[in-house]
Amino acid sequence: MESVKRAKKRRVNYLPLILMMLPGIAYMIVNNYLPMFGITIAFKNLDYSKGIFGSEWVGLKNFEFLFRSKDFFMIIRNTILYNIVFILGGTFASLAIAVMMTELGKHKIAKVLQPIICFPNMISIVIVAYLVYGFLGGDGWINNTLLKGDGISWYSKPEYWPFILTLVHFWKGAGYGSIIYIATMSGIDVGLYEAAKLDGATKMQQIRLITIPIIRPMIMLMLLLSIGRIFSSDFGLFLQVPMDSGALYNTTQTIDTYVYRALMKLNDVSMSSAASVFQSIMGFILVMLSNLLVRKVDPQSSLF
Amino acid sequence: MRQVNSEKRFVNSEKRFKAICAVIMILFAAFCVLPFILMISASITEESALMNFGYKFIPKKLSFDAYKYLWAKRETIGRAYYITIIVTLIGTTLNVIITSMFAYPLSRTDFKPRHFFAFFIFFTMLFNGGMTASYIIWTQFFHIKNTIWALLFPNYLMSGMNVLLVRNYYVGSIPTSILEAARIDGASEMKIYRRVLLPLSKPVIITVAMFAGMAYWNDWSNAMYYITNQKLYSINAYLNNLQNNIKLLSMQSSMTEGINLQGLSLPTIGARMAIAMIAVLPVLVIFPFIQAELIKGVVIGGVKG
Repeated sequence: MESVKRAKKRRVNYLPLILMMLPGIAYMIVNNYLPMFGITIAFKNLDYSKGIFGSEWVGLKNFEFLFRSKDFFMIIRNTILYNIVFILGGTFASLAIAVMMTELGKHKIAKVLQPIICFPNMISIVIVAYLVYGFLGGDGWINNTLLKGDGISWYSKPEYWPFILTLVHFWKGAGYGSIIYIATMSGIDVGLYEAAKLDGATKMQQIRLITIPIIRPMIMLMLLLSIGRIFSSDFGLFLQVPMDSGALYNTTQTIDTYVYRALMKLNDVSMSSAASVFQSIMGFILVMLSNLLVRKVDPQSSLF
Repeated sequence: MRQVNSEKRFVNSEKRFKAICAVIMILFAAFCVLPFILMISASITEESALMNFGYKFIPKKLSFDAYKYLWAKRETIGRAYYITIIVTLIGTTLNVIITSMFAYPLSRTDFKPRHFFAFFIFFTMLFNGGMTASYIIWTQFFHIKNTIWALLFPNYLMSGMNVLLVRNYYVGSIPTSILEAARIDGASEMKIYRRVLLPLSKPVIITVAMFAGMAYWNDWSNAMYYITNQKLYSINAYLNNLQNNIKLLSMQSSMTEGINLQGLSLPTIGARMAIAMIAVLPVLVIFPFIQAELIKGVVIGGVKG
């Protein structure tokens, strides 16, 4: 007894523990914290020859340029609209898949289907772009087989792309997104459904009155988390799938692709950093706000 | 009698619902698979048939020229493949070690500064400096442009999400009494981590390894930002670059009519699809084995970060 107490009292030597964390600390500083200070670039007129510290301050001038440019409205509009469609449609699609997969339950089909519907999420978006091109390209399946020759040059018609990108997004993510709901549904007491059946509830009623109310906290949590990310977009989806086609910018350019193109293609560091910092700050504000909301709705699910 | 009837109707409607679910899900699965079939089919179709009839789900005329082309180009494509494998292996190993070592002190209630370090990690999930700042820091301070480090370091070496995932697993699934016993036996912290903690936390380690492995294997954006030397391309970067070259060429050829595309040694449509095919293949082979683990991981991670 005495010895146990002494063992507990013995002061823990922090040094080995801190040493174990050292690689991680170093990495986080380099990869995450230094770029946070790098935000200052957005308030400077970056001159590579003078370095980051030597470049002169220009205050909010970069942001002024950004807000005035005609691209700004477009990239914000595209980013937010796509996100709204993806969030609402994605939640619905994943929920529907989860309900149906749960219904199939332990049936053999479910075991085969599960990996298949998750697989598109596992491959790189570059390859997805190749697959999409197989359908939409000049020699693509749609133009040659479906439309029999009088094809549409998809990669120069911006009006179709909101539909195409939404479809690709669901193809890639809906199955994978349903996993979390399937897991939540598997925790529901079967007795509830049995009782409802005895009372003569139809399947639809069971879903509406049992399944949905029970998993509502999870749905809310997922919704709010994605609202926190409404200013970010899936960079690969918007850059690779339209094949970086300039004719499509009007409906495919988002903040992330703008930041990339301004930095790497146009060499315009000030515009790129202004857009990038704008995105980070809005993202931070929205994450905080959505967390505040989660805490109101369901304190247990809040991030902090 | 009436009750039996209504019960029968009830069972029938349940069955019907199940059947409808099965049909819809099978259709959705087919929708998921079809693009891959188109890709495979194109990779084994003769080029002239592809040119004349376009992509088809069933090859008009079989030919394995595309794969012969891959073999002929094994020096460049093989190198890209080799780089992808090396980067994935090293990156995943480092990621798992750094993540699990960082998570261990965070899980120890007698480690007082753990709250500070947990916040240190957590804050990176709330706020980031943005792509431009990252790019400038990596290229201006660390000069990783056109080095192999550019494929390893930015973004993927450790993520706050995974650290918290592992920490939660340590806290929830490993009894403190075992650690306590090891400590009383005089084992060092490093030894406890290696001999006790790692073997006991296999499921979560596999999950983290899988997330990291996928991220490295599928990465193209690090290469796009930091690599211009084609000798350092990973397979996805190679595919990405190919796509860009073809686009550039088709733009030029539409301006200067009649340019000889064949003269420039760009791979044929079939060959492009064959390269995409070999990039997908390892994922396709490994995925069925790890998908159960992956689902578990998503569940542990999703329930509470």
